[in-house]
Amino acid sequence: MATLLFEIGTEELPSWYVLAVKKDIASLMAEKLAAVQLKHGEISSYVTPRRVAVLVEDIAEKTPLRQELRRGPAKAVAFDAGGAPSKAALGFARANGVEATDLIVQDADKGSYVFARKELGGEEAAKLLPDLLAELLSELPAPRKMRWADVDTPFVRPVSWLLALLDEQVIDVVAAGQKAGRESHGHRFLATENVNLGHARDYLNSLEKAYVIADVSAREQLTLKVAQETAKQQNLTLVNSGDLLTEVSHLLEYPVAVLGSFERGYLDLPEEVLITTMTHHQRFFPTRSADGKLAPYFVAISNNRVPDDAVLCRGYEQVLSGRLADARFFWDADRSKTLAEHAKGLAGIGFQRQLGTMAQKLARMAKTARTLADLLGLSQAEREVLEQATAVFRADLSTQMVYELPELEGVMARAYALAEGYPAEVAQVLEHGVRPNKPAAPLPAVKVGAVLAVADRLDKLLGFFAIGKKPSGSADPFGLRRDAIALARILNQQGWPLTVSELVEAAAKSYQDSDLSPQSLEAAISELAQFSLDRVAGLLAEEGIRVELLRAAMMDKPAVITASRRCHLLQAMSQEDEFGSLMMLYKRAANLAKEAKADIAVNPELFADEHEESLYAKLPRAKAGIAELMSLAEQNLAPWDLGQSPKQPLSGLEAGIAAVLELKAPLDAFLDHVLVMVEDETVRNNRLALLTEVRDALRALGALEELEGL
Amino acid sequence: MLFQDIILKLDRFWADQGCVIVQPYDTEVGAGTFYPSTFLKSLGPEPWRAAYVAPSRRPADGRFGDNPYRFQYYFQYQVILKPSPADVQEQYLQSLYSLGIDPHAHDIRFVEDNWESPTLGAWGLGWEVQMDGMEITQFTYFQQVGGIDLKPISVELTYGLERIAMYLQDKAHSYDVEYAPGVSIGDLRRDFEYQHCDYNFHHSNAELQRQLFDAFESEAARLLELKLLYPAYEFVMKASHAFNLLDARGVLSHMERQAYVQRVRRLSETTAKTYLELSTAAQTQEAA
Repeated sequence: MATLLFEIGTEELPSWYVLAVKKDIASLMAEKLAAVQLKHGEISSYVTPRRVAVLVEDIAEKTPLRQELRRGPAKAVAFDAGGAPSKAALGFARANGVEATDLIVQDADKGSYVFARKELGGEEAAKLLPDLLAELLSELPAPRKMRWADVDTPFVRPVSWLLALLDEQVIDVVAAGQKAGRESHGHRFLATENVNLGHARDYLNSLEKAYVIADVSAREQLTLKVAQETAKQQNLTLVNSGDLLTEVSHLLEYPVAVLGSFERGYLDLPEEVLITTMTHHQRFFPTRSADGKLAPYFVAISNNRVPDDAVLCRGYEQVLSGRLADARFFWDADRSKTLAEHAKGLAGIGFQRQLGTMAQKLARMAKTARTLADLLGLSQAEREVLEQATAVFRADLSTQMVYELPELEGVMARAYALAEGYPAEVAQVLEHGVRPNKPAAPLPAVKVGAVLAVADRLDKLLGFFAIGKKPSGSADPFGLRRDAIALARILNQQGWPLTVSELVEAAAKSYQDSDLSPQSLEAAISELAQFSLDRVAGLLAEEGIRVELLRAAMMDKPAVITASRRCHLLQAMSQEDEFGSLMMLYKRAANLAKEAKADIAVNPELFADEHEESLYAKLPRAKAGIAELMSLAEQNLAPWDLGQSPKQPLSGLEAGIAAVLELKAPLDAFLDHVLVMVEDETVRNNRLALLTEVRDALRALGALEELEGL
Repeated sequence: MLFQDIILKLDRFWADQGCVIVQPYDTEVGAGTFYPSTFLKSLGPEPWRAAYVAPSRRPADGRFGDNPYRFQYYFQYQVILKPSPADVQEQYLQSLYSLGIDPHAHDIRFVEDNWESPTLGAWGLGWEVQMDGMEITQFTYFQQVGGIDLKPISVELTYGLERIAMYLQDKAHSYDVEYAPGVSIGDLRRDFEYQHCDYNFHHSNAELQRQLFDAFESEAARLLELKLLYPAYEFVMKASHAFNLLDARGVLSHMERQAYVQRVRRLSETTAKTYLELSTAAQTQEAA
């Protein structure tokens, strides 16, 4: 048993590669070791901007011994009349490295054959590893690799050195123009000499002494710690939003925090503008003072400890003040026009070829939003807010600030609207209407904002589907999957009773006067409805809903909230012991009811048997039980962000289920004692109608036939 | 350190690394990459090292001198090394020492920044080098030039001279940088910049530039047929500048813009191919 360490030293890697390669190198190593049958213990991986390393514990010294029988020629061919091995047998023996006398004869499926018994395995790890590690390096996946000098093995950035140790022994790996040794490099500026590694186990400690924190999460924690401590010295707290900390810590090997400041006058700018300016290009942490307000200070993380922090500070502050001056310029310049004037600029911004400009898109969207307002029965006040917001929705796309900092779309519309004197509700709707603009961003929290957000996405999805740009396979260059997921989340969180088809139809109506052909639009409508429902199902699967339940809940393509509630109701019910009996009941009734003629109602006058009477008598109670279960689901499961699971699990279902199960005894008795398929057509149809009612009562829960296997 | 001393120091440093110190080319270019000493010399197998100041014209980037960082005319300091040396980052850091910048006293980062020139049919991967948060150099390993995969790979370093000078002299605007004793960049360029901005944005004759573009393009194509490579490439550069002027004038629709880019690109690709043909033929002749 030994410890294996392989380090690929590189020139500075892109920050997005750090987490990807950390995962990939560990899994690829496991795959490669399994392929050569080398047993091993835990695999860990370490990544900094200048290295990718993998450490494997308890690697076996040799692969395990094993025997393998290889089939050769048929016995009849392998030996001559005198029993001596034929040419064919001799050749087979030679090819397998055994003596002809060691060949054995065994029966196989079509007669007797000769076999060679081969001893395999026992290969030394130290001999297998040079090739294995070279392959590991060249096979590491990356979306884009490069070449350098005249080296033929591409990598994400040039490879500067290789280190490969099995315990204390160097493994002779040659790859990417480098030959492995026991030497690693410390921090580019802080380490005084190279790291000479005696044993693979010493890796992390030796690097730490050379100012390299190779463990990704340890480095992230240390970065946060030094940043917080520095902020705290001035009674400030950090604004640590999104992926800032992760990105900052992926760009360095050793974090040193420095406190800088900017002119207090800039605090007049909208908070998001300041935060984005600090984080977007500079990756500085903004700070807040004790009163919660943004402070004119920031924490920058240096990758170097220098003799005089003031030198760093001067640079950081100079760059930031340049950017803040730009932001101030945009803020002033943008406000010299009204939002309505900015909205005119949308005619000059393309949306998508064949689908027109942003102005044309927004005109369509406004129609869709009005249709949705009708369907949802918005109040007069809500409609007025919607109209005002629609007139300038996304007008900030043509402002300079959003051109420079696209992630501020919506936020700037709100800020400019407020500065211009729009009502606060309208400003809020303008901001919420573009949410979620990133997968992790919040959903619109106001209803009218959600109407705009839904109308916007429906327009984009339907348009792109109609011009043949729907995603195929994993390729989704226009982010349509992301849009459909956002749509599903918004719809569930709003809990609107509209089916996906109704929504898509609403958007299609707005496309009627466009250049799109009615045929392509027609096809897009049904494709998009299914595509959206698939996303709903995907999000519910993330909540742990089983696939059969999903299929049952999607019956009749219901509203998103109906489908998601059905899922959780069925999921909760399927935990109950009686669920199996319930399904049995449904199955028996449904099988017979298949024969029933449609639109024949039960006529109690025609009952000829007491079992018919008693089954019929229990139906109302069962129906009430089902209604109770459904209303419990509605009350307990307040609309939620799909994919995150409802806040509270469903409970108190026992009474409802019991009421439904009271059907079991009379139904059993009915099926045992009453002959359904009698000669008399009137009686037969009446009995079938009774079973149909039982089936339909239960089917209110979803397409239960999907659950037969449960 | 004076602006002109930065240039002199970099010339000295890179000359000591074996670079030919090339003098500025006398045709308008958008960047030092357009120079034959980069665009053409990065093609083919022969080793090559050069360094030079590349006065660059980017008509659309002009701001009448109002923005401290953005100009339609500025200086790049360009270094091209083929094949890319294994210690090129170290060499670069050494060059900073020669400017009086001690990398141990600063926060120097190599932050991913990839480069693409659609008109040159060229792209590469690399970084922007940041010093204390400020971008001071572009660092690119060319992968393709003129649509041709390179082997060996060249590395290109492009120093932003004005930015570095602003930093070293602690100036808030490029114009305040002392170029020579008692002479600022503003003294030398203020009127030049303003008038060119006015010309680029308001007074350039778009119709004339379109005609010039067409003429330069067909002249380049004609000369390429004649295998007059260097004269042909000059007309490619001129066509590219005419396109940049049209772009700055705001008269090109998105589609039109794309079409012009493609036209320059086709010329660049033919130039690159012709250069390789001619140099291969020359070598064969020499060997014979």
